[in-house]
Formats: sequence, C-alpha cells, structure tokens
Amino acid sequence: MTIATRPTRTRSAGGRNGSNGRNGARAGRSDRRGVVGEIADRRLADLRPELDALDAGVLRKAVAGAPPPRPFALRVAAPGLHLIAEIKRRSPSAGQIAAEADDAVTRARAYQAGGAAAISVLCEPHWFGGSVEDMALVHSQVSVPVLAKEFVVDPRQLEVLRAAGADAVLLLAVLQPRRTLARLVDRALALGLEPLVEAHDERELDAALATNARVIGINNRDLRTLDVDPERAARLREHVPEDRLVVAESGVRDAATIRGWRALGFDAALVGEALVRSGEPMAAARSFVAAGAVPDDPVEAARAPLIKICGITDAAGVEAAIRAGADAIGLNLVPGTPRALELDEAVELARLARSIAAPQARPRIVAVTVDRSADELNDIARALDADAIQLNGAEPIELLARLDRPALKVLHLPPAGGPTPPVVAEVVDRARAYLRGGATQIFLDTSGGPHPGGTGRRADPELVAAVAREVPVVLAGGLDPATVADALRGAAAIAVDVASGVEAPRVPGRRPTKDPLKVALFVKRARAARAERPNLPSRPTPVDQSLLEANDHGRWGLDRQFGGRYVPETLMAALMQLEDAYAALRHDPRFWAELRERLASFAGRPTPLYRADRLAARILEQAGAASTGGAGPSSLRLYLKREDLAHTGAHKINNALGQALLTRRLGKTRVIAETGAGQHGVATATACALLGLPCVVYMGAEDIERQQPNVLRMHALGAEVRPVHSGSATLKDAINEAMRDWVTNVETTHYVLGSAMGPHPYPTIVRDLQRRIGDEAAVQLAEAEGRLPDLALACVGGGSNAIGLLSRFIGEPTVRLAVAEAAGEGIATGRHAAALAGGTPGILHGARSMMLQDRDGQVVEAISASAGLDYPGVGPQLSALHAADRLELAAATDDDAFAAMALTAETEGILPALETAHAISALPRLLAGTEGSGAPYPADALVLLGFSGRGDKDLASFGKWRAAHGAAAEAHA
Amino acid sequence: MSGDGARRIGDAFAAARREGRTALVPYVVAGYPDLDASYEAAVACIDAGADVLEVGLPYSDPLADGATLQRASAAALKAGATFDSSIALVRRIAESRPRVPLVPMCYANQVIGGGDGREAARRLADAGAAGIIVADLTPDEGAGFEKVAGEAGLAVVYLVAPTTPPERRRWIANRASGFLYCVSLVGVTGARTSLPPQVARLVRDVRAGSPIPVAVGFGVSKPAHVKALAKAGADGVIVASALVDALGKDGRDVPALTRLVTSLREAGATLAA
Repeated sequence: MTIATRPTRTRSAGGRNGSNGRNGARAGRSDRRGVVGEIADRRLADLRPELDALDAGVLRKAVAGAPPPRPFALRVAAPGLHLIAEIKRRSPSAGQIAAEADDAVTRARAYQAGGAAAISVLCEPHWFGGSVEDMALVHSQVSVPVLAKEFVVDPRQLEVLRAAGADAVLLLAVLQPRRTLARLVDRALALGLEPLVEAHDERELDAALATNARVIGINNRDLRTLDVDPERAARLREHVPEDRLVVAESGVRDAATIRGWRALGFDAALVGEALVRSGEPMAAARSFVAAGAVPDDPVEAARAPLIKICGITDAAGVEAAIRAGADAIGLNLVPGTPRALELDEAVELARLARSIAAPQARPRIVAVTVDRSADELNDIARALDADAIQLNGAEPIELLARLDRPALKVLHLPPAGGPTPPVVAEVVDRARAYLRGGATQIFLDTSGGPHPGGTGRRADPELVAAVAREVPVVLAGGLDPATVADALRGAAAIAVDVASGVEAPRVPGRRPTKDPLKVALFVKRARAARAERPNLPSRPTPVDQSLLEANDHGRWGLDRQFGGRYVPETLMAALMQLEDAYAALRHDPRFWAELRERLASFAGRPTPLYRADRLAARILEQAGAASTGGAGPSSLRLYLKREDLAHTGAHKINNALGQALLTRRLGKTRVIAETGAGQHGVATATACALLGLPCVVYMGAEDIERQQPNVLRMHALGAEVRPVHSGSATLKDAINEAMRDWVTNVETTHYVLGSAMGPHPYPTIVRDLQRRIGDEAAVQLAEAEGRLPDLALACVGGGSNAIGLLSRFIGEPTVRLAVAEAAGEGIATGRHAAALAGGTPGILHGARSMMLQDRDGQVVEAISASAGLDYPGVGPQLSALHAADRLELAAATDDDAFAAMALTAETEGILPALETAHAISALPRLLAGTEGSGAPYPADALVLLGFSGRGDKDLASFGKWRAAHGAAAEAHA
Repeated sequence: MSGDGARRIGDAFAAARREGRTALVPYVVAGYPDLDASYEAAVACIDAGADVLEVGLPYSDPLADGATLQRASAAALKAGATFDSSIALVRRIAESRPRVPLVPMCYANQVIGGGDGREAARRLADAGAAGIIVADLTPDEGAGFEKVAGEAGLAVVYLVAPTTPPERRRWIANRASGFLYCVSLVGVTGARTSLPPQVARLVRDVRAGSPIPVAVGFGVSKPAHVKALAKAGADGVIVASALVDALGKDGRDVPALTRLVTSLREAGATLAA
C-alpha cells in the first residue's frame, strides 16, 4: 500500500548541531514542538486522507498476514550494548548524508553482516528521504528485527507498519500527551510491534516511564531545536529503572562513545550518521559492535555473580534460563507451594536442560526441598541427576554429612523493619557452621509468609552486607531486574537467586511461568552490576574493615591510628577537591572502562603470570640451607607476576595513567611528580605525553646519578626533570620539593604521587589504581593452579607495588602476606630503609605511618642501593596491616639484592629491578622461617611474587657490584 | 582552649593597636647559625620592637619552607640543634625578655609524631612559650593537640591560606587561639619583591571572619609591604626569610637585622582608618 511518495522538496540544513537547521526551519507555526512538530504536522497532513481511505477489514487481514515479529526486545536484552544501525539518506540537522540513490537494502545487509542487532529505517519522505516501502523492503531482505523510524501521529499507522513487517516502532514522547502516548504503547504491544519510546528530557522521560513500554530511548538531540547535548543520555541514564531496556541515540563521535554508553549500562545505541561517516558499512558496524561487546576480561568475569533461576515450571522456562545464560536452575519439589513440581515433571525438565544446553554452558540443576530426610533427598537427587540439593527448611547440620550430592543451605532472615532484627554475628556463626558441616553455598532469604522459600520481600540490606562480608552468600528473596544490580553493589554476595521476580503475570489456577524477557534482563543486570566497578567488593573479606579501607578521615588500622592528612593549609583545598573528585570517580564505570581500555591497548595489560621453576629450585635449596630444623617446604611452585612486562617496565604505569586521566577530570592542566628510581617519573611522563599534559618530575640529585637511563627516557618523553639537592638528595627530598611546587601551583597543578602513601586520599587512590596487579594474579593463578597462593610477597618502598599485589589477598585468611624491605647495609647498622622493621610511628609527607626518625622526630635518611626503596617511610595501609599482624616482614641488604638479581638473570633469563630483587632474596628466608612470622609452610608451597619491574636501569650498578664480588656472586646468595 | 598563652598574645596585639601600630612579629631560627648567635638575633629583634617573636624549630624536611629557611634549618641541625637545645633557647629568651610572647613554629612530627604532644606542649609552655604554630597541622587533625596544648596554657595558632574557602576560614579562625596566621600568597616561605595584588582583599576578608587578631606572613620583606598590610587592616605582620637574609651569609650580621626590624616596625605605625 502506498502512503507517501517521492519527496517534493529537499531541505538541506547543514551543520551537525543543527544551528542552520534552526534557521532553515519554517517559523510559520509558533509551536513549542519546533522542528519535530512541523514534521509531525506534515506527516499527519500527508497520511490522514490515506488512512481514512483504508478499509479496516483489509488492514486487519494485512496485519494477520504479516511475518511474525522478530524479538527486538529480547535481542537487546542479551549482554552488552547492541547496535541498532539506522538507514537514512538525509536529515534536517545533517543535510544530505547519503546519496538519494543509496541502496538501503545493500547498506542494511552490510550492517547486519557487521553484527548489528537491528536495523532502523526512516519512513518519513520530506526531511529524511525515507518511506514505509523502504522499511518493508529492508525487512524482507534482512533477518534481524527492523525498527520503523516513523513519526506516529495517528494510531492506525501502527497497524500499517506492522502489516508492512515492522518489528519495532519509534514513539516520540514529545509529540503526544501522556495518556495518548500510553495508549499508543499498549496498542503497539498488542500488535506485537515493540514500541521504542524516545525522550530528551526528564519530563518526557517521566511520560515514557509511565507507559508500559519496555524499551526507552534517550536522544541526545533535542528534536525541537536539533541541538545535540552529547552528555544528555549519560546524565539521564540513572533516571531509567533497570527493568527497562535503554537505548542511547545521537552524538556518537566514535567507538569511544559506544564504550562509554556500554559502561553506563545502556542496552543499545541507535547510530545513523556516524556509521555513514565511518566509511565501509560492514566494517563500520563491526567496530561499533565490538565497542559495545562485553570485554573479554577474566578479572571482570571473576567478579561477576553466579545466577540461579529458581522455581521453573515448564520447558519454556528452562529454555529461557538457558538462553539467558543462567548458571543454575532450581526445580521446586516442595509440595503445596505454587511452583511445586511432581517428581517426574522435574526429572523431565532436568533432562531437557541437559539436552539443550551446550556442554560448557550447562547450568547446574538444583532440587529445591524442605525438611526431607537424607534418604528422600538422595533419591530425589539421583532421579533428577541433580548437581545440588537446596535445603529450604530447618534442616539440621548433621543431615548434610549424609547427603550424596552438594548441599545448599538457605538461612531465613526476617524482612526488614521487623520487631527483632537478627544479630550479624549470629547469622555469620550459623552460616559458618553449615559451611563447616559440608554446605557448599549459603542462601540468605526472607522467611515467613504462607510458603517457605521466600515471600518476595527483602531482608535488611545492611545486615545482608555485613554477612556477605564474612561468608560467601547467595542473595535470594525479592530480587528482580529492577533491584538486582543495586543489591549486588550493596553486598559482596557471590551469587543471586530469583523466582517470582522474573515471572509473567499470574494466571489464576495455573502455575507461575517465567517471562523470557525478564529472565534475560535479570541475568544481564546481575552480570553487569559490578562491571567496570573494580572497587566494589565481590566476595567475602573476613578481616577488620579498617585494614581494607580508610575511614572518612583517611585513617587505617584497628585503632585508626595510621594515615590522616597532615599538610600545610594551602594544600587543603586541593586535597579536598581531589577527595571529592575521586569519590565521584571511584565507582564511575565510564572512568574505569576507559582506564581499562587504555591499560589494555597502551600498557599491555593484563601482564603475564610466569612460573619460574629454575629459580624456584635454587630458592628451595637456599631455604633448605637456611632452615635450622629441616623445616620448610619440600617443593615450591613460584609464580612471578610480571609487571616488568607492562609498558615502561614497571607497575608504575597503572597509577600514572589513572592519575593522568584523573588530572583531566579535575580540570587541571599541569602535572608534577616525584621519582626515586625514575620508574614513576617515566610512567608519569609517558601518561602525560599520551594525554598532552605538561609534566615536571622532581628527582633527587643522587638518584639522577644512579638511574641515568630513566632520566634520559623522561627527557625523551618531553618531561622536565628538576634535580633536588637538599637533604639526602633522594626520594624523600624529591617529595618535599614536589610538595613545595604543589603548594605554589596548586590551582593549575595535580601532583601525581607515585606510591600508596601521602595525605588522604592518595593512599586509597594509588591502591585502587594498583589493585589490578593482585586481581589479575589471583585469576591467573586460579587458572594455573586452581587455588590461592600460600604466600603473596612483594618488595616495599613507599608501598604501591606491595599493596597492589596484596590487596586482593588481605581478606583471604589462608594467604600469608609478606613484604621485603631494603636493609641497605644491614638493619643492625642503622644504615637501611626498613621503616616497618626499624622504624616507629610518625608523621611524614602528610600521613601518620611507620618511619625512620630520631628521638626529636627528625627524619633519618634512608640508605639503600635501590633508589625505589630508598625511602624512610611506608604507606599507612601497610603500617596498619603490620600492626595488626596481618603482614609479615622480611628484608634484604644491598648485597643480597644484587645477588638475587644475578640469580634470577642466570636461572630464568629475566633481569629484575634491584627493588624486585629484594623480594626474591628474602623468599628463601621466609620459607625457612628465619624471617617473617616463622610459621611453617605446607610441604608443597605455592608462592606468588610481585615482579615489580625490570632491571635495565640498574645495569650500571649491577655491573659494578659484579666486578667487586667476582665469582663469589653466586655463593653469596 | 585559650589560656595564659592566648591571653598574653592577645594583650601584645592590643598594646600595639593602642599605640596605633600593626604588631610586628619577627621570626628567628633556633640554633642558626648556632645557639648563641640565634639568641643574639632573637633579643635584637625584641629590642628593635617586636611585639611577638616566632622561634622556628629546625626540621629535616620543612616542606612548607622555601630555600632561605630550608638552608637555615639545615645549618642549625648541622650545628647540633636539638629539640632540647631549642627549648633551652626559648627559656633563655623568655627569662631575659619576659614581656614579649614567644611562639615556636615547627612541623607536626616534632610535637605529635610520637604521641598526643602533651609532653612537648608542657615543656614548651614551661620554657615560656605562649603559643605554637605547627606548619603542617590543620584543625582537621588538630583537636587532640589543641586539648593538650590548652591544658598547658599554650595557644595553638592555625593558618589560613588564599586557597581556603570562606566557610572553612571561619571554621579555622574559631578553632585557632592567640592569633590567626594569614598566609599572604599561594606558595612556600621566602622573601618576595612584591605581594600578590589580591592580598589586601584577602586580609580584609580574613579579618572580618576572625574573632582573634590576624597576622599576615609569607613573603614580607620590605617596609612597603608592612605599610600596605597595615593599611589593609592586618593586626600584625610576620617577617621570617627576609630577616634570615638580613643576617647575611654567615647568619651573624645582627646590626643589619636590627636595622631591618626597626624600619619594618616604623612602617607599621600607620594603622588603617
């Protein structure tokens, strides 16, 4: 059927921001709806006569005869951000985009081949050069859903579009009063035509959310004026509840825009012009699709929760769960409950699940029961071939030992606001008792109500968070797509369970069934809840919070005795600004997504985890020789976390890049840094060159002498290196001078501090930026060895590489933590840099921490051959860990460290930085028990060592040492 | 938290005001170039008309200080200055010139590094100090020290800077005792040829929000500076690096010091209307 025909006039507007468009638009009607109002009026004028002439019966038949709708919403509910590629030849804002003769079908097929999830086709002829015929033709030639990009001004257009094959339709909130909009949405849904309701501001968004629309669009472009606000969608995202699908539109500059939208949780992006501008259609689509895909990051995957869809009652439910990627499905065998199955039904559903899922994606099958005997449970489990049995009642701990299959225990918590709130410690104790008794998972669920197993209401979030911090829990009860992400961000649960929250509306007399879209959306929201939020806890960490996080005053430690902020008043404004800016950034997914992308593409992350067998053998020998009672392990697997392979050759790049991005967020235009060995200076100069920021690095004159290669590198990267001659002319003096510069230039300058020390919030910021070292290593070690290390060890100066490696393991009680300090000429000589072993609490460089000082509080110069460890202080979090006996100490002298350099080079062909060599040197003594706590290690020890940097910069001093020690080098070790 | 020390300092500022002057607050480094010479410099300042005298306690890592005071501090430490010897110096000055309040200036680690600072506060007050300035201590971390200092009768002088927002300025002013130290510029200590043009406005704003006298320091080196600050309404002017510079390369030119202090004091004799 013909609606509008060829366009009778062209409207070239030019200018992407629509300024010309605004001038070009006829000012004929003083209409609040501006350009879009004009278009809508014309559409109505064109279509009215044709629609009036349509026979209702013919229309009905055409709709019935249309191809069945392709599942647009379900497609977009799959993980990641999906591309809706738009076909338009011109627009009022951009003028001519593609030739009038541009073949829409060829383009659409290219977009589909490039991975577009849907195609949007303009139906409006005069301003956009489109038509319903175009849309119908495209639909017939592609297999993905097609969105009719129409100006709907009459409800009958919906039938016409569906009859022409459209799977989805645009409805503009700006064009309709609220009730009309809601009616249009319902009419479209009834036709099987998915409405995408588009809004540009909060008022329109309100109207859109008040309808039953499942897909909401936020357009950066104001259709009244054609102005584009590129941040609009990002700002408004949080106003859309998570149980709707959200599409971002307009203002796409490049793939980075798409990545940012994905990080913010948009489900799709509607892209038109940017695709045409990007050259070849298939390649363009592919690049945007790639930018929207969930990154293949094992650290992110390790932090994502497991998901169980429970109370499945039919085959469709099984299919929906499997298609959505659920990790487990629950089959209810509790008689008398709404979702209860007969045994044979459950057996059949279990069989179905196993047969239709791909082998590597098979969900666990869980039999849900209440208060049955062990024999009954074993029979049920056998019949279903269940992977686990869920115990929802008051089953005693003793029962667990008699079960043949893994058991999951549900603990019932009262709903929030009840009369007798439970005590956290009691819940934790009960959970631990069941875990000790053999349960493999603990569910936290609300109790009470007519049926055991959940009333659909949630327990007190604070109680849940406190329990989740102590034991691994599965969150259950009252979760749904709208609430699951918040719940996962608020508690470090390892999994979530849902039943009623993903169901279709109840039909009286029938069992509840799952709504596939809700199931898909639940899984998507749950998996994405902690994505790009690396500072949110994702597993229990049963140690005192004060060892994991500073309080609001930047204090660490059981008595909150370390850290704080001791700086001249002139710096306070900058620190407070930094604190506020970082607080906003700390959980900002766009920031962390961008940082992760840069660390991957620019810095080469993740860094490898390398098993050093030859080095391990020699270390084991040394440990045997060192140990007095023959204690010590009989075998050692030593894994080196290779930060030396990151760009610039050390872990410093993680922090420098992060703080350089932070500098931009702060609106500062100049960067200063201090450096000891030069690695942080080089990393900062590198990040500044990348981001176009002027960079000044302060370096002690003595360090400049002994680390020349790094000085040359900083110059080559365009940084200015300022020698510091005062004091000991080493790291602490460089910090003093950097602080003075900061005091003087605080309004324009950000101080990129290089270690996890200094005034609050620096220790937190640097730790957050370095923690990926340990996060990656844990995942890599799990792949290689299937478990956590017995010992995590790193060298320590200021503490950034140490806290970066160790953070992940602080909350793992089975992992010992140790640091190797620089003993210089020997701690007993007093000429060393061991602030933890040989220091006392004091205030240095803005924070209270362990430091080397005399009785007057004068800072004692640190003495160490290694410029990066040559610092008389250490970060406050490490001081807190040591004071709480969570951190063991070891040390290596200059000679020890050089010898370890030689050993590593000769056994593994890897040259460690002198700093790193301190940790290698200390390892045998730790294993032998002559350093550290002295407690013995298991017979087959697994050690993770932070290989913080490469030793090229140390070749000169290493050469000198070799010459002085000659062949005695190896025996010396 | 005020006490004997705060009152004595307040009286000194009031006396200067009555004489139509902005108070002069010179600064000497204890133990620079040696203990005796620093004693001579201190009494010379007092005899040339100081209303209050700051005594810097040398520190290994003075990160709020520019080259001049860094150098003097290092020299004093090299010559053997200790906390004990600095206290002895304070006592000696206080005994020979009892009318002028003495205010030591130091860094946090020297007084509260090892504990709550009770001992240090008591010893300084005993030796005759009326107040104390801790360059890297703000009220955010200072509550504990204010308490023990108050118990010892020692006024805790806090600093406000051009970067301090107005509400925070008021908060700091209400926590400080003795006087409020208004830092004139965004930077470290050190004589400047000129002070920033906004300093008059800053002084007026700070003074308007302070219940205690406001003394302005950092960079002050010439009579013209003092005159301008007096005109802007400063209750007092602090001069430090310029005096160390006046002592010359060997730190012993007391007559030059005296001349400078005298001229600065005269310049302060024109109070704002």
